[in-house]
Amino acid sequence: MATINLVDLKKNYGPVPAVKGINLSVKDGELIVLVGPSGCGKSTLLRMVAGLESVTSGRIEIAGRDVVKAEPAERDIAMVFQNYALYPHMTVRQNLEYGLKNRGTPREEIDRRVKEAADILEIGPMLDRKPRQLSGGQRQRVAMGRAIVREPAAFLFDEPLSNLDAKLRVQMRVEIRKLQRRLKTTSLYVTHDQLEAMTLADRLVVMNGGLVEQLGTPTEVYDRPATLFVAGFIGSPPMNLLSLESIAGASGFDGLNLPAGTDVVGIRPDQLTLEQPTGPSLALAATVELLEPIGGESHLHVRLNTSNQAVILSVPGRPDIAEGAAVTIHARPADLHPFNRESGRRTDTAVANP
Amino acid sequence: MQTKRTIFPNKLLPYLLLAPQLAVTLIFFIWPAVQAVKSSFEREDPFGFKTTFIWFDNYKRLFADPTYLNSVGKTAVFAVSVTLLAMSVSLLLAVSVNRVLRTNRVYTTLLVWPYAVAPVVVGILWWFMFNPSIGIAPYLLRGLGINWNHRIDGSHAMLLVIIAASWKQISYNFLFFVAGLQSVPQSLTEAAAIDGAGPFKRFWTIVFPLLSPTTFFLLIVNINYAMFDTFGIIDATTSGGPAQATNILVYKVYADGFLGLNIGSSAAQSVVLMLIVIALTAIQFRYIERRVQY
Repeated sequence: MATINLVDLKKNYGPVPAVKGINLSVKDGELIVLVGPSGCGKSTLLRMVAGLESVTSGRIEIAGRDVVKAEPAERDIAMVFQNYALYPHMTVRQNLEYGLKNRGTPREEIDRRVKEAADILEIGPMLDRKPRQLSGGQRQRVAMGRAIVREPAAFLFDEPLSNLDAKLRVQMRVEIRKLQRRLKTTSLYVTHDQLEAMTLADRLVVMNGGLVEQLGTPTEVYDRPATLFVAGFIGSPPMNLLSLESIAGASGFDGLNLPAGTDVVGIRPDQLTLEQPTGPSLALAATVELLEPIGGESHLHVRLNTSNQAVILSVPGRPDIAEGAAVTIHARPADLHPFNRESGRRTDTAVANP
Repeated sequence: MQTKRTIFPNKLLPYLLLAPQLAVTLIFFIWPAVQAVKSSFEREDPFGFKTTFIWFDNYKRLFADPTYLNSVGKTAVFAVSVTLLAMSVSLLLAVSVNRVLRTNRVYTTLLVWPYAVAPVVVGILWWFMFNPSIGIAPYLLRGLGINWNHRIDGSHAMLLVIIAASWKQISYNFLFFVAGLQSVPQSLTEAAAIDGAGPFKRFWTIVFPLLSPTTFFLLIVNINYAMFDTFGIIDATTSGGPAQATNILVYKVYADGFLGLNIGSSAAQSVVLMLIVIALTAIQFRYIERRVQY
């Protein structure tokens, strides 16, 4: 049970900055997800918190204590690695016990905790096997178990699900969420998968180029992306970003009343419709390129007639539209996200953000 | 895509293609080995006119011979010391290099050089450095009050050949240890660090066990090396002396056979060595896959 505070944290690899000044405070019991494309510094940040990377400047406080100079072992954290990092020459039980033994935990206490963790994760029958005799999902559980038995102040997860197949990943994602809720342990979780980030996080930190782009709850980030980067990164399929010129001549454009400085507007694929909605709307003439049915809904790829820009719509069901057909797509003014290309930021009321 | 198989109908062709390898094996390995076994059952008169078949007499004499038993003892001391020294020093060097990642190419290259030096040259180098009259080492040791003279002191001589032989083998071990260390995933040592293990504990509980295949392989290779490949070093530094102090089995084969011209005994000794090699190789093949698995 602890808070984690990062104060102006920086990391350079030689002359190359990897993390350019991060401020973040994680509340007690909160699960914060760091998400971003590869190379954005999220893993480096996590490894700095773990004590596996040195800190160039700034402070890391775990439970109110500055740990920048502390060894990883002294930070009272447990980490789950992407490749699980299970000790291959030890049985599952020995893997779980290792950290406790190193700390001189009494035998009865070790047995109690191992049993508890094994019960929670349902790995009891596997305790005497070696990691290589386990499946990917089971190894994942053991890696979690090794973190749980330590009863640390914080869990650090470094893309723990990326080595699992799609189905197992969804299942383990739910389990991690349940587990974290149950144990109420402060957690930092790194992933590049925006869906994983959205579903797991209490709060989301979207990172790009060593900086925080936006910090907020998943719904805040999804509903009001603070920057063009976040708008394009969060959501699948990604938000359509249309330059002002390409929609300037469309009917309903004059009624939009966009804030000053806007030159790009974003709109989510599921907020574009083929039917005209009630109330005022923006209508854009387009040509259908491709219809992708994905089950309950379909992704419709179209091109705007005015600017030849590609746009994606999520439409319910499987509409009967031929490729090459002319359609009119509609957007409600309230669903538009106005951005400035130069600054990369929203032009309407500023969001509470970095 | 399926691999295309070509079938040659000629029954002789496979044998023809194998012939060069078979010829080399037969002429250079099997034939001499058979000759050695044959000679070990024979006694030759001093002028080489007549050989008598004497069954196991050569072997019986050998194992009753105190110089031979002394040689067995010396070989054991020598092989164990060389193996331990060469392996522990090289492991230490490999671990150090593994920690400095940036310059490790340079270190590795430099540390591998001794392996390229011929055994006799190694012997000469160390003989020179430890030469009681002109060497630098005895000069320095005299400053510490040690009167180094491997020509008259048997334990000095043994120490010298052990150092020289280990020095040469360190590079070889080092290369394998570096490769072995680099195949231990970084995340394991990181996980152990988070699990509260200090650097020493990390090494002994995580890295060293994972290195065991390499260690076991090197153990066999080093014993083999110390017992059979150190002839040149012994010959150049001490020639088995003083007073049989460094006369290891492989050198004794040479000394008895080519210097003492006792072909029968020498052959019997080499057959004994051959059996030792076979045993070591068998151990290597049998256990290397099973014992060190994790």
